[in-house]
Amino acid sequence: MSVRLREALREAAAEVPAYPVHDRAVRTARRTRRRMAAGVAAVLMLVALVPLAGRAGGVGPAPAGVDGPTLPDRIGLPVFGALHATDRPRLGPASVIFSGQARGLTGLLDENGTIGIVGADADRYRTYQVGYEAPVGEEVLLSPDGRRIAAPGGSSEHPRVDLVDLVDGVIRHLPSVVPGSVTTEPAGWAPDGKSLVVRDTVPTNPERSAYANVLSLVRLDTGRAVRLLETEQLPIFGDPVAFTADGSRLAWRIGDKVLIADADGQSITSFPLPPETGLAGKGAWLPDGSLSLVSRDPDSTRWRLRHVDPATGQDLGALELPAVSGVTTIRLLGWRPDGSALVVAYRPDPATPARFDQPMEMDQRTAYGHVRSVAVLALAPGAAAPTTVLAAPEQVLAIDVADRVVHSGLVRDADPPWGVGGRFWWGIGLAALLLGGVLARRAVTRARGPRG
Amino acid sequence: MDEGVGMSETFHEFVVQRSAALSRTAYLLTGDHQLAEDLLQSALARTYRHWRRVRDGDPEAYVRRAMYHQQVSWWRRRRVAERLDAQPVERGGGDHTEDTALRLSVVAALRRLTPRQRAVVVLRFYEDLTEAQVAEALGCSLGTVKRHGHDAVRRLRDLVPDLVERPAERSGR
Repeated sequence: MSVRLREALREAAAEVPAYPVHDRAVRTARRTRRRMAAGVAAVLMLVALVPLAGRAGGVGPAPAGVDGPTLPDRIGLPVFGALHATDRPRLGPASVIFSGQARGLTGLLDENGTIGIVGADADRYRTYQVGYEAPVGEEVLLSPDGRRIAAPGGSSEHPRVDLVDLVDGVIRHLPSVVPGSVTTEPAGWAPDGKSLVVRDTVPTNPERSAYANVLSLVRLDTGRAVRLLETEQLPIFGDPVAFTADGSRLAWRIGDKVLIADADGQSITSFPLPPETGLAGKGAWLPDGSLSLVSRDPDSTRWRLRHVDPATGQDLGALELPAVSGVTTIRLLGWRPDGSALVVAYRPDPATPARFDQPMEMDQRTAYGHVRSVAVLALAPGAAAPTTVLAAPEQVLAIDVADRVVHSGLVRDADPPWGVGGRFWWGIGLAALLLGGVLARRAVTRARGPRG
Repeated sequence: MDEGVGMSETFHEFVVQRSAALSRTAYLLTGDHQLAEDLLQSALARTYRHWRRVRDGDPEAYVRRAMYHQQVSWWRRRRVAERLDAQPVERGGGDHTEDTALRLSVVAALRRLTPRQRAVVVLRFYEDLTEAQVAEALGCSLGTVKRHGHDAVRRLRDLVPDLVERPAERSGR
């Protein structure tokens, strides 16, 4: 196909005339410059007029009366000039991270894969830039205690995982453990936060026309890696990964199978997934030792949780929890003390032509182009319908919650920041200093002028 | 020579020399002459604003990168109103030769890809870049390039079945 496609593209392009856009481009550029200058002047005027008390939107102290990690009942978008993950004052552990294509998550001009970060016990926000589109919960993961964020980093020559510590502000680089790897991504945190499962992609020939996938469990203190699996490249590989509560076993999905191994990498079992089902998410292990799957009711967009015997994959039936309707899919975050399941629900984008009531690969169901918004729902045993415990603005398209927050079962009234963030005020302060310096220099020059 | 005048002259010279090639890429990225013209104008305007910094490096690469990102950004704003048809495109027909018909079908099919998929197709199969080079040009991961490339080729195969080479063609190469 590629030869015919190349030929067709060349023929299609051959007849295109050179567009006469030089003059218009120059006029547009000059107009934009004038507008930017006017915008800067307006902002400086605004700074002079806005009282200092009104500026605290993004950096105010934690509200009183909140103790311990809690889930905000809604999130807002990062404000303009929001502080970064490693800025002072440090954020401390986070409750939630989110990503998508909403304002503040995509960069002003280019895609920059900004991650929004919300504090564990108060609505203090930070941001972190991955550099490109990277959905949280799949390629960017919050550690169980909310202290660290694991994100893909580096380049294809030197791939690595970046571990962003929200408590001390240090970013630690974890180079790929697989020789020849061109991409490495985090796939799952161990419950104690001391190990990380990573996915690698490795070319299998010099032309880079074929690749292999490698899944490894890496100890973060020693760097020791245990290879869990190596196989030819697959669309779904090691997503999701779910650890048992004690961290002794882990389950992951590749293709249409679930594999289970112990923490030393010894394979225990594997079983095929029925059509339109998937491993439920990072919280897939139930306290009774069974493993939960998500499944779609036939010809519908209604999803529910089932559980299976992990030894055989035998279906043990649907869990006594409400189903979730009108979604592309759901991902299981974990279990709350009252026995309810916390899931991320993906609401479809009405503009997409895809049919979510028909078979579709699971990774496509959470693709940004197919999703309009996400919400975190609680599925309580015996309840008739899910309860929304966290609402997000449209175009927030992926969300991850720290296990510690899931397990606390606590939800707080959120008060997301507004206005502008700390970095904006730093910039304004710097600009004011520079402006003052320039004005002072001019005044001195003018004063000396007559004598010169 | 005045710096401003010199800047305008070198920019004008660059546009004269490279606008034909850039126009072709813009057309493949949008599938529409009007949109392609707007896209190229916008990318060149951005380049002009940064010309002092860009001109000593690789200005053409800068314009191309600006076009890829601008196209994705425009699509994001427009996409609520857009609907992408999943049905196969009509074969470019009439009195066209087979190759012309295929070309028209491909252009129509390109319009039904997302801009990111389209950018990957143009870079991989028109500009002949490797996947790693595409990732660098788009500023995204290799995995993202693979995903969009895989989705795009699968979708093109559905939309334009004629793109699949006949066995005789493959064995002949």
